Amino acid sequence: MADTTISQEDFLKFREFFYRKTGIHFDDSKRYFVDKRLIERIVATESVTFRSYFVMLRFETSGEELQALTNLMTVNETYFFREEYQFKCLVNTLLPEIITSKKEGQLLRIWSVPSSSGEEAYSIAIYLLEYWPGINHWDVEIISSDIDTKILAQARNGDYSARSVEKLPAYFLEKYFRRKGDAYQISDDLKQAVEFTKVNLMKPEDVRPYRGFDIIFCRNLLIYFDDLSRRTAADTFFDALNPGGFLCLGHSESMSRISSLYQTRKFADSVVYQKSKEAQ
Amino acid sequence: MPLIKQHISKSIEQDQRKRERDCTSLELQLSDPSSAARRWAARDLISCPEATGALVLQLQQEDDSSVREIILTTLTQLGDELAVASLVGYLRSEDVALRNEAIEAMKLLPDEVAPIMGKLLIDPDPDVRISAVNILESLRHRQVEEWLTKVIEEDPHVNVCATAVDLLGEVGTTSAQEALEKLKTRFPDEPYISFAADLALKRIRST
Amino acid sequence: MKRILIVDDAATVRMYHRIILEGAGYQVLEAINGIEAMEKALQEPFDLYVVDINMPKQDGYGFLSDLRSRDLPQTPALMISTEAAAADRTRAYAAGANLYLVKPVKPDELLVHCRLLLGEVHP
Ligand SMILES: C[S@@+](CC[C@H](N)C(=O)[O-])C[C@H]1O[C@@H](n2cnc3c(N)ncnc32)[C@H](O)[C@@H]1O
Repeated sequence: MADTTISQEDFLKFREFFYRKTGIHFDDSKRYFVDKRLIERIVATESVTFRSYFVMLRFETSGEELQALTNLMTVNETYFFREEYQFKCLVNTLLPEIITSKKEGQLLRIWSVPSSSGEEAYSIAIYLLEYWPGINHWDVEIISSDIDTKILAQARNGDYSARSVEKLPAYFLEKYFRRKGDAYQISDDLKQAVEFTKVNLMKPEDVRPYRGFDIIFCRNLLIYFDDLSRRTAADTFFDALNPGGFLCLGHSESMSRISSLYQTRKFADSVVYQKSKEAQ
Repeated sequence: MPLIKQHISKSIEQDQRKRERDCTSLELQLSDPSSAARRWAARDLISCPEATGALVLQLQQEDDSSVREIILTTLTQLGDELAVASLVGYLRSEDVALRNEAIEAMKLLPDEVAPIMGKLLIDPDPDVRISAVNILESLRHRQVEEWLTKVIEEDPHVNVCATAVDLLGEVGTTSAQEALEKLKTRFPDEPYISFAADLALKRIRST
Repeated sequence: MKRILIVDDAATVRMYHRIILEGAGYQVLEAINGIEAMEKALQEPFDLYVVDINMPKQDGYGFLSDLRSRDLPQTPALMISTEAAAADRTRAYAAGANLYLVKPVKPDELLVHCRLLLGEVHP
């Protein structure tokens, strides 16, 4: 049987390591949450002690165990039409403003990160189809990313619980989903419309290819980060955006304590952050 | 349906080919005419521990604030001695924005900044001392209270003391009480100081 | 009731100013830096801003220049800073301040200048 006690010192060492890898910071109150998941992985990998597990975690070349552990440590809570006011803002204000500086036939690009199980990205797709007349003239690409590979598989799969679709008007549920026992399966058309990719926002190699976006949604992630990771994320989005592009944060998140790169814009439905049109 | 899937996997591949970039060429790109290129170089230099010198040099002449922010983030992540020394230099800058950016960066580097704190707190320039007190806010060092107490006992400048009292209200313990009482008599004509000292005392006594 | 926004990163300073201004019958809101102040300014109207200079993320100069360049009501602003040098005053006025005081301010001094900017007394 494995010796699965985790000392305070072990916790601190692990916390620092995990923070550097993912940007996610656990304060002392999360001790129980962290210990429980660590022990689960120590047992699953048949490591004898925390120490031997930690050595393996740090030196494995494949990154497989780190991924498995990360999948356990993330908080994936999400649902359809969460913070819906922002989708209203998207179709009423942001997209109309973006297209004024686009040429006919150019592609509009939206990045929804973190995706978690995909509800946010699919909600955006539904909103565009239902509420944005421009969809008949413009091509839109929606990319959605997360660090958690298990949750990404779920997103691509598109099966949702009753709870996850609770906020959706019945009419949309009927139009875009198929009942499958207790679950709701999203339509193939919508699945075709969103590309899900694995991205660790704290990893420069991962984020580098993500550029040229007109709108980025980053909601309910920064709350899990510490100051430096938040700032790194804000810097990353700045370069991922086109000049004049918009960044939408969750309702409890504000740029005011993170970065001064953006201009604050207030619209009827929401506060959003903009990369200046003059910026390169 | 006009919602389309591009082949992002293809664009990722292309990008990786472009990106075989070594530290030397990244340092050169720090002075590229395009600010986007400068930002990307500053960001990628995170994997070059030797790059601090080049980043510091560029920061001195960089006038695009978006590039400055990223250089400072990278310097903070590198966090070596040279990085800290250059940040200290910016505390003396006439440029308020740069000064505040340096303060913020130093707040994120408690272990590196602690050893030089004693010196900063007796700097002849009161603005540097105010900045130093502001940095203490996030230092979580066992000496913080001692430092702050010394400031309010000895610093001749009212605004340096004012900044220190604000913080003592958060981190102070009973050992700061005497100094707080004394401070009120050092600046008897400043209602703000009495207000702040009393507030700090109240907080200390209620915990 | 007239509404005043206090912009300062030091909690004690905000509280001190708040007590003085609320005592005189104004409604007071607070922001910890220029960006937060702008978020508030965009959402609701104010009659006066009381703004510090040295603040993280966006300093007082930055906030006022941004405010003055936007299509918003040109609400008066009182700048309060630790800097006594003439150059700082000049810069504050250039950024769009209407008056400039040096910290620490006495309660009467703060009130008189706020009333002046609110048009309640005349010089
Ligand atoms: C609470 S969900 C937010 C989902 C959705 N955006 C929403 O607002 O409902 C947070 C997600 O952040 C992901 N995450 C955590 N750290 C990350 C990182 N460094 N890079 C990318 N995603 C990360 C987690 O896997 C999790 O799925």
